[in-house]
Amino acid sequence: MGDLVEQLVHGLTLGSLYAMVATGLALMFGVVRLVNFAHGEFYMLGGYAFWYAYRVLGLPYPVAGVAAAASTAVFGLAYERTVIRTILARTWHVQLIATLATSITLTNLAIIVFGTQPKEVPTMLSSAIAEVGGVRLSWQRPVVLVAAVVVFAGLEWFVTRTKLGKAMRAMSQNREACAVVGVDVQRVALATFGLSAALAGAAAALVSPLFNIFPDVGALLTLKAFAAVIVGGFGYVKGAIAAAFLIGVAESLAAGYLSYAYKDAIAFVVMVAVLLVRPQGLFGRRIGI
Amino acid sequence: MRALRWSLGGAFLVTVPWIVAAVAPGQQRYILHVLIFTALYGALALSYDLVVGHVGSLSLAHPAFFGIGAYTAALLATEARWPFAAALPAGIAAAGLVALAVGVPMFRLTEHSFAMGTLGFALVAQIVATNWVEFTRGPLCVTGIPKPELGPLRIATLPAFYWMGLSAVGLVGLLYHGLTTFRLGRAFHAVRDNEMLASAASIHPLKYRMLAFVIGGAVAGGVGTLFVSYVGVLCPTELAVSLSVNLLVMLFLGGVGSLRGVLVGAVAFTALPEILRMAPTWRMVIYGLLLLLIVIRAPDGLEGVIRRGSAAWRRPSSGV
Repeated sequence: MGDLVEQLVHGLTLGSLYAMVATGLALMFGVVRLVNFAHGEFYMLGGYAFWYAYRVLGLPYPVAGVAAAASTAVFGLAYERTVIRTILARTWHVQLIATLATSITLTNLAIIVFGTQPKEVPTMLSSAIAEVGGVRLSWQRPVVLVAAVVVFAGLEWFVTRTKLGKAMRAMSQNREACAVVGVDVQRVALATFGLSAALAGAAAALVSPLFNIFPDVGALLTLKAFAAVIVGGFGYVKGAIAAAFLIGVAESLAAGYLSYAYKDAIAFVVMVAVLLVRPQGLFGRRIGI
Repeated sequence: MRALRWSLGGAFLVTVPWIVAAVAPGQQRYILHVLIFTALYGALALSYDLVVGHVGSLSLAHPAFFGIGAYTAALLATEARWPFAAALPAGIAAAGLVALAVGVPMFRLTEHSFAMGTLGFALVAQIVATNWVEFTRGPLCVTGIPKPELGPLRIATLPAFYWMGLSAVGLVGLLYHGLTTFRLGRAFHAVRDNEMLASAASIHPLKYRMLAFVIGGAVAGGVGTLFVSYVGVLCPTELAVSLSVNLLVMLFLGGVGSLRGVLVGAVAFTALPEILRMAPTWRMVIYGLLLLLIVIRAPDGLEGVIRRGSAAWRRPSSGV
């Protein structure tokens, strides 16, 4: 029983990670109709930024976490201005290959700069173990869960209450109409990339103390987050979040009870299974934030 | 004129081992080795272009089909002692059948989702090849794969493998030309260019996409079979997703959807590392940047340059 609870908490932690990355992917798709194959690399860069701020500079954990999210956001803005802006008007083939090429370039640059040896960033919380009724957990895990709830509540507030958030939702419904009524569509697109990248960076700061950081961490993560986006109903952010938690829990249970070696295949299996039964995803065909 | 040019070109390619032996006797082995890889890469790139260039489905599952063909042939040849003449068709059939089975759920996805779904399949295939140790020997690799024997013909020397690679790329080129030129080719292009219009003209998009996907996968399996029979060792790293990136660079560097373009791309791509001569990680950085640059600035690749060049050559004064 205690074992099951542990696996469930592990699954929810994983789910928080996938949900934050998948939210960014779904936001981008919703606002500018682009799938960013380099999204996992945002997480990778966020992880290295966090490692640098926490281990090398020795900043306190919350400061290092915010610094990681902020520097990833800056990178997202730069990515939008250089690569994305030149391909937004092109066909999806061009967009896909350009973002895939960015992902390859960033992964291999990271290998050159940081080496293939994984970076470990244990914190006081991640090495402290809480023991409650036979369940042994790192304190970092409840921190991740609480932070995820705060982040998603903040995001909900942002897209429903602020002007920029409302503009994002409007653009996901009709880009032309937004331009007509005077929404600065380029600025909203830029903000979307900054926000999506910041989410990936925040996820990296939260879970890096539990999982190590290595250069090609992004490839599988993009895939799993994208599987969540597809399972949740393409471009529907809340669906993607729910599906991400589903995939995280399924993966953790499979790793604990079936086979650890094949855990990375679970997201894909869930995706294919859902697609065979419901090609439009679990939560319908609605597109919108 | 055209036939003469083709037969002269063909005759030149067949005599390459002797030319190399005469011109660069010290480096014969190395040059032939590069040429064999070029030929096999060319055949693989053509099979990939059937899917990407002609029906417009951006599949990233090609390394998996290559690997399935390779593992089928390697395991049949080492464990069951199958002769090459039986292992090759088995490799082709296995890859084709898996492509059929994978295609059914995958073609429910469109555009990006299809690309991501096929990428997922490729990753799972590599995970299975690495972890199913009892069957594939995992990271220990399948070793001692015998050299191919076709009746009295034993392919064991470098020139023999060169001719094998050349015949492979020639056969795949003929198949590619046949599939993409006539009525079938027009149906492929209709599906690629305008799916809705194609279905209105009773050209069923799924049928043609599936056909190109399965044939492309089967041919990739065949190339995988030839690859292991040449190299003699098969490791799970051969199924890496980076193979898709290499193939995409070849296609876009040369020119998507064109026989000449893809072959030029394969030659240029295999020549590139020889010119660049640097660590593999830097090489991948350069491939990534190159792919990014080509796809943004010159999406028709070298083939576009050749076409514009030959048009200007034929009508020297019309450009002004």
